[in-house]
Amino acid sequence: MHLLLYVLRRIIQLIPTLLFIALVVFLLVHLLPGDPASAMLGDRALTADVNRINHDLGLDRPLPVQFLLFLRNLAHGDLGRSIQLHESVLSLIAQRLPVTMLLTAMSALIAVALALPLAFLAALRRDREADILIRGTFQVGLSMPVFYIGLLLLTFFGAYLRWFPVGGYGDTFAGHLYHLFLPALTLALSLSAVLMRNLRQAILQVIGAEYVDFARAKGLPARLVLFRHVLRNALISTVTLFGLQIGTLLGGAVVTETVFAIPGAGRLMIESIYGRDYPVVQGTTLCLAVVVSLTFLLTDLAQVALDPRLSR
Amino acid sequence: MTIALPARSRRRRRFPLPLVVGGGMLAAQLLLALFPSAFAPYAPDSFDYNALMQPPSAAHLFGTDNFGRDVLSRVIHAYSVDMQIAVFATVLPFFFGTSVGAVIGYAGGMAETIFGRLVDAIITFPFLVLVIAIVAVLGPGLINMYIAVGVVDWVFYARLAVAEVKVQKRLDYAEAGRAMGYSPARIVFRHLMPNIITPLIVYWMTDMALAILLGSSLGYLGLGAQPPIAEWGVQIADAKNFMATAWWMSVFPGIAIVLAGLSFSLTGDGVAETMRTRR
Amino acid sequence: MKMTFTGAFAAALMLSAAQPSLAVERGGTLVYGRYADSLFLDPVLNDANVDIWVLSNLYDTLLLPTDDGQGVQPGLATKWAVSADGKTVTLQLRPGAKFSNGRAITPDDVVWSLERAANPKEGIWNFLISSIDKVVADGADGVKIMLKHPDPAILQALTVFNTAVMPKAEFEAEPGTTDEAKAREFAKAPIGSGPFVLKDWVHGQSMTLVRNPYYWAEGSDGKPLPYLDSVVFKVVPDDATRILQLQSGGLDGAEFIPYARVQELKKMSGINMELYPSTRVEFVTLNVRDEVNGKPNPLANPEVRQALNYATNKQAIIQIVTHGVGSPMSSFMSSATPLHAGKGELFPYDLAKAKALMAKAGYAKGFSVPLLVLAGNQDELSIGTLLQQMWGQVGVKLELQQVDNATRTDAYRKGAFSMRLSAWTDDIADPSEITSYFAYSPTIQALHSGWKNDTVDKLFVESQSQTDAAKRKEEYAKIQEIFNATGPTVPLYQTPYPVALRKDVHGFVQIPLGNNIFRAAWVSKKASN
Repeated sequence: MHLLLYVLRRIIQLIPTLLFIALVVFLLVHLLPGDPASAMLGDRALTADVNRINHDLGLDRPLPVQFLLFLRNLAHGDLGRSIQLHESVLSLIAQRLPVTMLLTAMSALIAVALALPLAFLAALRRDREADILIRGTFQVGLSMPVFYIGLLLLTFFGAYLRWFPVGGYGDTFAGHLYHLFLPALTLALSLSAVLMRNLRQAILQVIGAEYVDFARAKGLPARLVLFRHVLRNALISTVTLFGLQIGTLLGGAVVTETVFAIPGAGRLMIESIYGRDYPVVQGTTLCLAVVVSLTFLLTDLAQVALDPRLSR
Repeated sequence: MTIALPARSRRRRRFPLPLVVGGGMLAAQLLLALFPSAFAPYAPDSFDYNALMQPPSAAHLFGTDNFGRDVLSRVIHAYSVDMQIAVFATVLPFFFGTSVGAVIGYAGGMAETIFGRLVDAIITFPFLVLVIAIVAVLGPGLINMYIAVGVVDWVFYARLAVAEVKVQKRLDYAEAGRAMGYSPARIVFRHLMPNIITPLIVYWMTDMALAILLGSSLGYLGLGAQPPIAEWGVQIADAKNFMATAWWMSVFPGIAIVLAGLSFSLTGDGVAETMRTRR
Repeated sequence: MKMTFTGAFAAALMLSAAQPSLAVERGGTLVYGRYADSLFLDPVLNDANVDIWVLSNLYDTLLLPTDDGQGVQPGLATKWAVSADGKTVTLQLRPGAKFSNGRAITPDDVVWSLERAANPKEGIWNFLISSIDKVVADGADGVKIMLKHPDPAILQALTVFNTAVMPKAEFEAEPGTTDEAKAREFAKAPIGSGPFVLKDWVHGQSMTLVRNPYYWAEGSDGKPLPYLDSVVFKVVPDDATRILQLQSGGLDGAEFIPYARVQELKKMSGINMELYPSTRVEFVTLNVRDEVNGKPNPLANPEVRQALNYATNKQAIIQIVTHGVGSPMSSFMSSATPLHAGKGELFPYDLAKAKALMAKAGYAKGFSVPLLVLAGNQDELSIGTLLQQMWGQVGVKLELQQVDNATRTDAYRKGAFSMRLSAWTDDIADPSEITSYFAYSPTIQALHSGWKNDTVDKLFVESQSQTDAAKRKEEYAKIQEIFNATGPTVPLYQTPYPVALRKDVHGFVQIPLGNNIFRAAWVSKKASN
């Protein structure tokens, strides 16, 4: 009951956040130099054509009026139509956002699967060969630009070994998973490096803390100490970091989506910024904000589960 | 399976090994960053149309790029730019974010709720919209990149600090501080801070490597360092079409990023270890 | 009134002579990798090359461009004639020609389509046929186009995508009150008379075209075109990934191969690296107004512009940026553009001359100037980096500013830029389009540069209704001479279209205007199956 109220409160709190984001993104996109018509028509556009199209789009009205119209439509659940793609923004997002969410979820899973055991191993074998090897490998993963890793993986596992498709998204759900494996791995490499480093330090810190000494002194078995005390406490900051990184992944997998030819929300976003497709930028930003906020809510709940004291 | 928990370190070594190695590497790189011309065999932007994309040789240890520029010299000159990026893009967010986060985490209540919404708003705001907007209004370049990164990055530290402080403030020593009648500021910065700072420093060191990488992603989009400035990320982005034909154009700047990242990490780990053993 | 009927005999030459005389194989799918998806498949209302270059596979025009992009050949019209006074064009429609839904094409459809295309309130391409006054049906199988004035480019204009013939009744039956709303609906499942029909379109991912069973043209085996059952366009924005997919068999063809990789692909077994002749030119646009953004502008001085031209080592740029694929320009228009006139490389590299001109213009110490470069575009960035170094030799300090396209277009259209990099491709096999934008000041102030030459303006107006071909050629020669000597550009190079195809792909062509022509493409079956 208490938890339910907490979740409900958080969801209600989302509304002012979204309004704030709506205002900022509206101002920002309208302040960008250029307008949809000249972005669409390009260098050959005649001024008369540009003005005519901007007028048809209602872009010559005062900004406050446009913002209020935007809010009014938003209240009706209408995010408008894409200027470039001539499609409703909602249906565009329905096509593109799940792709990015699946990609992010897969890379999060891979990252956790890599980081969690290896962080423990590294921490427990601190400064020994295993630790040095693990940290060195992750450091290389952390230091390579995404498009570089992506192209290497594509060349080796895609074109050379032919284990995975060379980019694309597939048609069935199984196909999606198959196509998204390499891009998810690409993203997971740097994400897991961040998590691994953080978790390893946190474990070392917790192992050094008094209550672990105390538990050990009580004669609890090492495995129990490890899981009940060390893991729980060490995970707190890692979970926070994880949530934050997932947030940026959701909105920023543009380069990965480009390299792997994945029709995701990141590419939609950048194409619509470059195309000054105001409704799509606004709509995608808002929808992403909802998804990311819910991710934060989940990580906060996970923290409460790890340490019930935090709920108060 | 038996799990052996290592004994709590009783060593009181003032400078742990990672700190010595990491610090040494950092010092060497700093030297390169401060006096690149003393080490680089060529000027970073001198073209040689007769030596385009030459593989590594005695004359050009790291080969030449598609303009016939010496890759080694460009990698060395990039130290001044990349060390700047690593530090300037992250140092303000680190200090500001950590302090704000610690205070808010301690205060809790309304402050935390409002902060939570602000964090959501900033993190969920697409970073690229922000960067493109800033670049469009102020023009591309390093300073504007720092601004764009800083606006977002501090939130990471702040949120980490909030989570940590929330745990620590319930512990006995914090309660004791309150019972002693210490001011909240004193409790936060004198008593809690040393106990929460470790993961933040660890993240900061990671973040420096991430900042250089971000420079590369922005370079890929043309929003990072501007030519003719040599910068590793941009060097790698520029070498994209030559990965198969001239591997040296991207591999050497890549190694420089790995080494720089490694020295940050080692330093971070070393600092964390020092903090732990000091307690 | 003397009429000259042409074209009927040209039908035999219809298919590219460049094709080797292999026995064609029918059926199968060709998967083609594109760098970006199309946006809006309406012939009149589209805005961009991503649409234009594929439209002709869906919508047929009255006349078709020849594969060399210079002439015209029969399309939906089998015969055509221009009256002696140049003010009437009579066309005879192909008997039995049908739309992809099986309905016969009527003169009514043609009249409606052309009038829609010529309507100045519709789209941005109407200027190409601004000479059209009125279109009327001419019996049951012909149309007559009445012109406001003689238009030497009218036949070429009838090959351009915006004059495609669309089904009037089916279009108007679409829901919506405005033409644009109807067009949006119509374009989701277009009905045209091109060789293919749109079957499926997943935006940002792929587009599937299947053969139109009603297409009129015959293949070399005497059966109707196209040979292929379907064409699939896959959107693969990253160049390197597109090439990897081609190598691993995921694609049969890939467009926009980076110049840097052309040599590598030429050597690769199983791949044909094609360089299709093109009308694409790359150049620097210079603002020549006396002041730019309130500051005095050294580029207003023609000697400074000439100095920059001489200081530009075109051969080095061609070598480094295009890896030898490009060639120097001898006029502002590509040598593939009809009536191109020019001998030899414009402003051959001459540093001494450049320095002397700078000194003569009073800028011996040089000046500092920004150049707008498209953010993230490697070619433009490389050109900028090279110019920075080359112009540094004459004291010009070039400051590169990477901006996104919309930002640059905005500054450009407002004349609030000093210099920018630009590229141009013709849409029509006639010099009038490029000249109108580049040199004729009323259109867009000569590339928004503020350049104006009364002689050029006068010559252009004359040439627009010049019926004497020899005189028109002279007029264009004169225009090019003036523009090339004093114009607001630094010409850099012209390049072909680099397209990589698997060896089993035949009969595909990208014409100099950019159109991807799949109607005679076919794939030989792999030996294994």
